[in-house]
Parts: sequence; structure tokens; C-alpha cells
Amino acid sequence: MNVGEKERETVNLVSMLENKGPACETKTLGNYLWDDLPDPDKWADCVHCGMCLEACPTYQETGEEQHSPRGRVYLIKAVAEGKIDINEAFAKPVFDCLDCRACETACPADVQVGGLIEEARGQIRQAMPLTGVKGVVSKTVLNGIFPNKKRLDRLGGFMRFYQKSGLQKVARKTGVLNVMPSHMKEMEAILPEVGKPVLGRYPEEVPAEGESKGKVGMLTGCVMDVMFSDVNEATIRVLNHNGYDVGLPKQQGCCGALHIHAGDRETGKELAKKNIEAFKDYDKVLVNAAGCGCALQEYDELFRNDPEMLPLAEEFSAKVEDVSKFLYDNDFKRPESEINTKITYHDACHLAHGQGVRFEPRQLLKEIPGVEMVDLPDADRCCGSAGIYNLTHPEMAGKLLDRKIDDIPENVEMISMGNPGCMLQIAMGVEKHGRSEKVVHTVQLLDWAYEKDKQQVKS
Amino acid sequence: MFGRKRKIKTSDPLVRKLMDIVGESEVLFEKEDLVAYECDGYTMYKGMPRAVVFVHDTQEVSDVVKCLNEAEVPYIARGAGTGLSGGATPLGGEVIISLVRMKRMLHLDLENRKAVVEPGYINLKLTQSISDKGYYYAPDPSSQYACTIGGNVAENSGGAHCLKYGVTTNHILGLEVVLPSGEIVDIGVEGVPDLPGYDLLGLLTGSEGTLGIVTKVTVKVLKNPEGKKTVLAYYDDIDDASQAVSDIIAAGIIPAALEMMDQVAIEGVESAAYPVGHPRDIAAFLLIEVDGIEAGIDDQIEEILTVCKQNNVREVKVAKDEAERALWWANRKMGFGAMGAISPDYLVQDGVIPRTRLPEVLAEIREISRKYNLRIANIFHAGDGNLHPLILYDASVPGESERASKAGSECLKVCADVGGSITGEHGVGIEKSAEMRFIFTDEELEAQTNIREVFNPQDLLNPGKLFPQPGRCVEVKRANQDEVQLV
Ligand SMILES: Cc1cc2nc3c(=O)[nH]c(=O)nc-3n(C[C@H](O)[C@H](O)[C@H](O)COP(=O)(O)OP(=O)(O)OC[C@H]3O[C@@H](n4cnc5c(N)ncnc54)[C@H](O)[C@@H]3O)c2cc1C
Ligand code: SF4
Ligand code: SF4
Repeated sequence: MNVGEKERETVNLVSMLENKGPACETKTLGNYLWDDLPDPDKWADCVHCGMCLEACPTYQETGEEQHSPRGRVYLIKAVAEGKIDINEAFAKPVFDCLDCRACETACPADVQVGGLIEEARGQIRQAMPLTGVKGVVSKTVLNGIFPNKKRLDRLGGFMRFYQKSGLQKVARKTGVLNVMPSHMKEMEAILPEVGKPVLGRYPEEVPAEGESKGKVGMLTGCVMDVMFSDVNEATIRVLNHNGYDVGLPKQQGCCGALHIHAGDRETGKELAKKNIEAFKDYDKVLVNAAGCGCALQEYDELFRNDPEMLPLAEEFSAKVEDVSKFLYDNDFKRPESEINTKITYHDACHLAHGQGVRFEPRQLLKEIPGVEMVDLPDADRCCGSAGIYNLTHPEMAGKLLDRKIDDIPENVEMISMGNPGCMLQIAMGVEKHGRSEKVVHTVQLLDWAYEKDKQQVKS
Repeated sequence: MFGRKRKIKTSDPLVRKLMDIVGESEVLFEKEDLVAYECDGYTMYKGMPRAVVFVHDTQEVSDVVKCLNEAEVPYIARGAGTGLSGGATPLGGEVIISLVRMKRMLHLDLENRKAVVEPGYINLKLTQSISDKGYYYAPDPSSQYACTIGGNVAENSGGAHCLKYGVTTNHILGLEVVLPSGEIVDIGVEGVPDLPGYDLLGLLTGSEGTLGIVTKVTVKVLKNPEGKKTVLAYYDDIDDASQAVSDIIAAGIIPAALEMMDQVAIEGVESAAYPVGHPRDIAAFLLIEVDGIEAGIDDQIEEILTVCKQNNVREVKVAKDEAERALWWANRKMGFGAMGAISPDYLVQDGVIPRTRLPEVLAEIREISRKYNLRIANIFHAGDGNLHPLILYDASVPGESERASKAGSECLKVCADVGGSITGEHGVGIEKSAEMRFIFTDEELEAQTNIREVFNPQDLLNPGKLFPQPGRCVEVKRANQDEVQLV
């Protein structure tokens, strides 16, 4: 046993970095042996104070230190110090993190826990490539579908067919679904009415209504565009109505967030490069999916160890903004028609914790006449969606979802938010708990109000 | 991976036995998990536990304790692990009994102003859960977002508002404790404030987890004060700020809180998550809060403003609304963690001195800072003379940990020499056990270890903490220091 082991007997990280291989490409850091090393400065900021513990959903559920932000940072550092190896026992806490960033809001020292975890995942994936079923699933879902617009569209097309053809009804009736794992079944129950993706169907530039105030680029996203193309349509209309030409460059693609979260930083970088190129002529890149927005804003982080790409990535990341914040900051047109409804607002993690956007979307909603806002307790606690966490960790995701639904005030008609993953997850919760609230995107409400304004002008 | 439980592979029969009591998933034994339990909020010393056991009720605690007694394996109770003196840090080989899953409120009796909670209940949650009814729990350590009431009892924790309201021990009505024999006992009788006989509640509170494991806590809850006002005063000279502290108390005002932060500390909090916009060039600021019945508050504020001005304040202001007040407090309460923004590591000390000696002690601390060439930030409860020098260091620079440790010890010596104490609220733990000699003679220490022996005869419960016993602790500490010197 290490009796009172002293921290610094281990390694002097800095000198280690310097000593190892200045001539060759691959540097190592303790037991991190692969390219794209984690950043020692990030854990150096952590003073082990524990202020982040209770903010972390996985710690709240388990009470286990290694499943807390402080614990995760500590383990990641322990690998660099050579105290522990990269193995399954290390990978579990690192992969069980929701990447919700609640810890970053809570941390007094501004430790970038999320970035550090993504970097560690990159090392784990290189050390222990996924094999077996998990490898196949990961490859088809992440690398086969998400980055591939056509395949995702086809999947969307299949789902449209599935819903329209009545097959869905048959499946639900016959109980074919009973053989699916329960969380997949719950997912199936709430699949939105799939529309047609915006990208490709719309022109590359959709002109502003009336006089133009300028041109903005818009990320259509992959899940958003397939599952929630109506939200994309609404976003374009809202921006047009506010006087902006909306650019939809065809070369854009998946943001790469899911790959980066899964530790596949290489694919993440490829996708990032594509987007950086696609939007190079735009000064603003607006995003209506918080998860994607956060990922785009962190491209600079992704290229931390790539001096060539870094300046481009930094320039790009600075252009990215959530659509709700952009509208609020640019004095959005106040709708005049009333939408009489009671709404509560859920903070998507990657909007509230990831981008610090809490006030603006609430304000957009509040300024729609007739909207009554009801507070959601712990509105910024993760709903369990967390990218594809609800597929990989159904149990934890389910617990968080139950808590979220329990918190939703009884008397509201709609739950508004700014992220498609949360929309799917919360819709699933609403269905599972036999409730009736409608799940909507913040800009959709604004869109409805504007549409009403337009109708009134007409009549 | 991916959320599924891994297969249990252990050859340790003790782990098996513990699993039989609490369930397989409730025991951690793999190195990669245990390493996260190497230390608490005090990071200078680290030791690996043999296992971590999660307990769910009093009976389980008792069963686990009996099992460990039988195996003669030492053990430690652990709450949130925010302690700052290594109380929950293993010396090596102990089993950690984690109480975080015992986190229910068992009973709330607002009429009689009390609540019964399990030890893993989070301090701030208590206030949050009763605030809408107009009540709160007074002890408010800055770590209250995360620390447990059980840990608060063990450390007899204080907080910014303890100047007026007292520390944890003043708010405990009863405890249920599992003794090191495994026996479950109730201490204190509900509703009876002062029992005849020895004050066992007082003895248990602040015993740093060396006399028993607390499994249930009955606390007082207080009615929210009618009014509250907060003042911020900026000083160019730290002696003026210190004098103002003494003068406020001398004027007969008992503020709810009277906090001070110096220039280095200000640099830290302003670089971190909750900047207020304090001027960087001031020597110190005071954060003063008064509360109570609405009627008297404005007069007290007036008087405080006058005292501040008499002591050459640069600028003094009253919080204009709750939002501003909350920001000032967040900035203060996040102060320790904020040091991460300006230094890789810190060592926080916890000396107590007579209030009137503030200027000279702060000067001596500046001298220590110069001598060891380490920056020292001061964030502290000035009103009750409870200093928190934060010694900033970089543990990855060879020799710096050791210098920090020595500088810390010297700060405590200064406090002891002016008639103060080596700890106000963070406890002795591993960190200050040697420094106990600054304030106690051998006889006094022996008297205390005798008491410990009555409760903890086999010395299996949190061994090597609190006292410079002949035996493990001091040697371990010395051994460690020697090791460091070799680096
Ligand atoms: C940023 C920061 C700010 C802080 N500010 C303050 C402050 O303002 N005032 C203050 O007083 N302290 C402060 N602390 C110190 C610390 O938070 C307190 O000592 C707190 O009470 C520890 O609670 P815990 O649950 O984290 O206990 P732990 O750290 O887990 O344990 C502390 C000690 O209590 C024992 N223990 C824990 N639970 C039990 C139990 N159920 N039965 C018996 N023994 C038990 C442990 O064995 C250990 O010896 C601060 C710490 C940090 C990191
Ligand atoms: S990102 Fe979320 S789940 Fe991960 S450590 Fe931080 S708070 Fe916990
Ligand atoms: S991540 Fe931040 S809040 Fe958490 S322990 Fe480290 S410094 Fe403290």
C-alpha cells in the first residue's frame, strides 16, 4: 500500500514532455502514448475542492468519486502520472460522463472538464479500439450514418415511409416492438413526424423578407435536418422575417460532436475541416442545435495540437452563435399576435453550461404576447439525452429523464428548449409518463407568433 | 463499459465479506476506482484505501464496522471529501465507509424548529428545502454546495455567518452514532437542550471521525431574518481594514458576517468564475453583513459606514439588490477554488487569533511569504479572527510542496504564539497533527488520547489523525517530509 504517498514523487510532467522525443512526431505523457495528448494545463487548474460534485448528474446518482468531475479529472491526471493504466476500469468513469458541462458552470477555477474528458476518450479509443458488437454499432451509427448526409436522409426517408405506410401502426399493434430493448421501444414511440430535410431542398441562399440587414450562415445539422426539418424551416423563416439572408452552404455536414464525445477525434477533425471550409465566406454561423453549436465553438480546442489548422479553427469558432442569442442580441422583431399558452423552458446542457446561454431564449419566449412562463426547477440539470448517451447508457439516461419529467410543472402546455437531442428525449419522457405536454423548439414559438402576425396583416 | 457493470474479480476475502453485507455493486476495490479516494480537499498527502464501501442505513454501518473489527482492518468515515486537513484521507490500507448514499431527510418539525437528516445530507440542500417556508440552517461553510452535514459535525464546521450564529456544535440537538464496537447509540435527547451529565454531544462534534460514525443528525433550523444588508469596503492599507474590523465589534455591532480578502486573493477571485469587478490595486476589502429585525438594520449600516470612513476607506458601498449581494457572496464563497485560476495548487491554513492582533499577524504572514518565496493569499473570517492564509505553490516543481508545508506550519506557529489556535474550523486531520504541540503539552495531549481510547480502543477508526501519537501519524508525516526532501 502506498502509505501517505506523496503527489510529486511521481513525474514532472513538463520535463517529461520535453525529454520525450523532440525529434519524432509522437510524444507521450505518462501512460498516454498516442497522438493528440490531453492537456496538462487543464488538470493543473483543478484544486480538488469538490465544488463541482453536486452539480454532476452521475455523481448525484451514484455518489461515487470516480463518477464525479473531480474524480474524473483526478483519474485522467493519474494516467499521466503513470499511477494507473488505460484500461476498462479507467474507461468506464470517463465514458459514463454525460458531457453535460454542469461541472464547468459550478467550478470556481474554470477547469475545462468537458474538453479534458474528450481528450482522454481520444486516448482510450486509440488504446482500446472498440471490438465486437459495440464496435459494429459505433461504426455504423457514428461513422456510417451521421457524417453521411445521404445515408441519414435515406434513414429519414425510411422512417417517413415507416410512419406513413402504416407499418408503424402494425408494428405497434403486433407487438414486434416487444422484442426491442425497452429504451429503443420508448424511442420509437416518439419519433417525430419526419419531414424532408432543408439542405438541398432549399436554395443555397434564402433571401430576407424586405430589406436585408445582412447575410448569416446556418448549420442545418444532421439529426435536426432529418428528424426536425420543421425546426430548420422555422429557423429560416424567423431569420428571414428579421431581415437576414440565410446561407445554407451545401458542403456543410455533421458537426462531429458525437464522434468527439465518443473519442473518435480523427473523424471529428475531418468533419470540422469540412465545415470550416464550407462557411469560410460567412462572418456568422448560426446554429439551432445546442450540441452542434457547442461543438463548432470548440473546434479550436479540437485542433489544439495542430498549429496549421488552429488559427482557422479559432477564427471559425468565434463566428458561431446560437440562434436564440443572435436574435436577442440583434433586437429581434417583437411579435404582436398573442399565443396564449403556458410554457416551461428546459436548459439544454450545451446551451446553458456549454455556451452560457440561459437568459436570451427565455427572453424571446417572454416577449411573445400571451406566453406565460412557468419556472422549471433545476432547469439546467441534464435530461439524459446527452448526444447518444441515451442509447449507450439507457439506465442512467432513464433515471435522469424520470427526474426531469417529475420536475415539469403540472399545468404547462408546452416545454420549450434549444436542442434536438433534448427534444427527442423529453418527448420520450412525456410519452412514457403518460403526460400531454408538447415539446417545441424556442424558435418555433417565435415562428408561430410571426405567422399569426402575417395572417392578421392579410385578413 | 458503456454503462454496464463489470465482472467482479477480487481475491480479497474482506471485499467479499463486505459485499455480503452491502451488496456487490456497493463496494469499490479496483485501483482505478480507489485512486479517486486517495485524498480529500487537502491534496498534500495521499494514501490508497483498500476498498470503499457504500452504506445505506445505520444497521449496515454497524454490520460493516463489526466486520472490520473482526478482521482488524482500520477504517475511515467519509462524506463529500471536501475536508481541508486530510481527515478523510487514508494513510494506506484503510477501508473507507462512504456515507454519501445516506442522504435523506428523515423528519422535519418546523414548529419545534428542528430537522433530522442522515449524515450524507448536503448542507446547502437543507436550507434550500426549507427556505420557501421561511427557515434556514445557519452554519454555512463555503463548501456548503457539496459538503455533508455528517462531515460538518465531524469537523465542527463554521462559515461566514458563524460570527453571530455560532458554529455547527451550536446547532446540533442530537446524534445517532455507531461506535467503533458496532454499537448504535443515541446522544442528546430531542427537545431537551441541556442534559445533566457530561456533554457528549460537544465531545462528538468536532472529533474528526475518530470517536464514532455519525448516522443521524438532529439540527436546529432558524427562522429567516426579517432583513439583511451587505456592505463592501475597499482599503488601500490592510492595517486600516484590520482596525475597522476591531472598531466595528468595539462599537457593539455583531455583524452576521465580517469577511476580509487581501490583494492576492482578489487577483484570484477576479480571474475566476465570479468576478465582481473589485479594483485590483486595493490592499484588501471587507465584506460585512448585518441581519435581524428590519427596524435596527439601517442604523447599524450607518454606523458601519462611519467606522469604515474613519479608517480611511477608499470606497464603501451597500449592495443595491439581492442579485448584487448574491454575486458578492459567490465571489467570496468560491474564493478557495478560485485560486486554481492563479496557481496549480494551494495549501489553506486555518489559524485563529485574537482579533486585535490582526495587523501584526498579517505582517508576519507577509514575512513568511517572502522567506519561502511563495505567494500567500488571505481570505478569512476577520470578525472572529479566523485566518485562512492560502499558500500558493506548484506541486510539480520539486521542493515546492515541502516549502509550502513549512510555510504553513510557520503561519500556525505565529497564530499560536499570539495566544491563538492552529485551527478554527478545518480540523487537524493529518495535516496539523504535529502542530498540536504548538498549543498542547504532552500531558494535555495524553488526556485527550485517553478519551479516544475509551471510544476507540483498538484504534481502528480513523487511526493516525488528530494527535501526534507516537506511532503512525507523525512518523508517516515525517517520513513523507523526508521523502520530499530527497526529491
Ligand atoms: C472550497 C472549500 C471551502 C471550505 N470552506 C469551509 C468553511 O468555510 N468552513 C469550514 O468549517 N470548513 C470549510 N471547508 C472544509 C470542509 O468543507 C468541511 O470540513 C466540511 O465539513 C467537510 O465535510 P465533508 O462532507 O466533505 O467531510 P469529509 O471531508 O468527507 O470528512 C471530513 C472528516 O469528517 C469525518 N466524517 C465524515 N462524515 C462522517 C460521519 N458521518 N461520521 C463521523 N465522521 C465523519 C471524516 O472521517 C473526516 O475526518 C471548506 C472546504 C473547501 C474545499
Ligand atoms: S460533464 Fe456532466 S456528467 Fe461529465 S463530469 Fe461534468 S457534470 Fe459530470
Ligand atoms: S473541477 Fe473545479 S470544482 Fe471540481 S474539484 Fe476541480 S477545481 Fe474544484
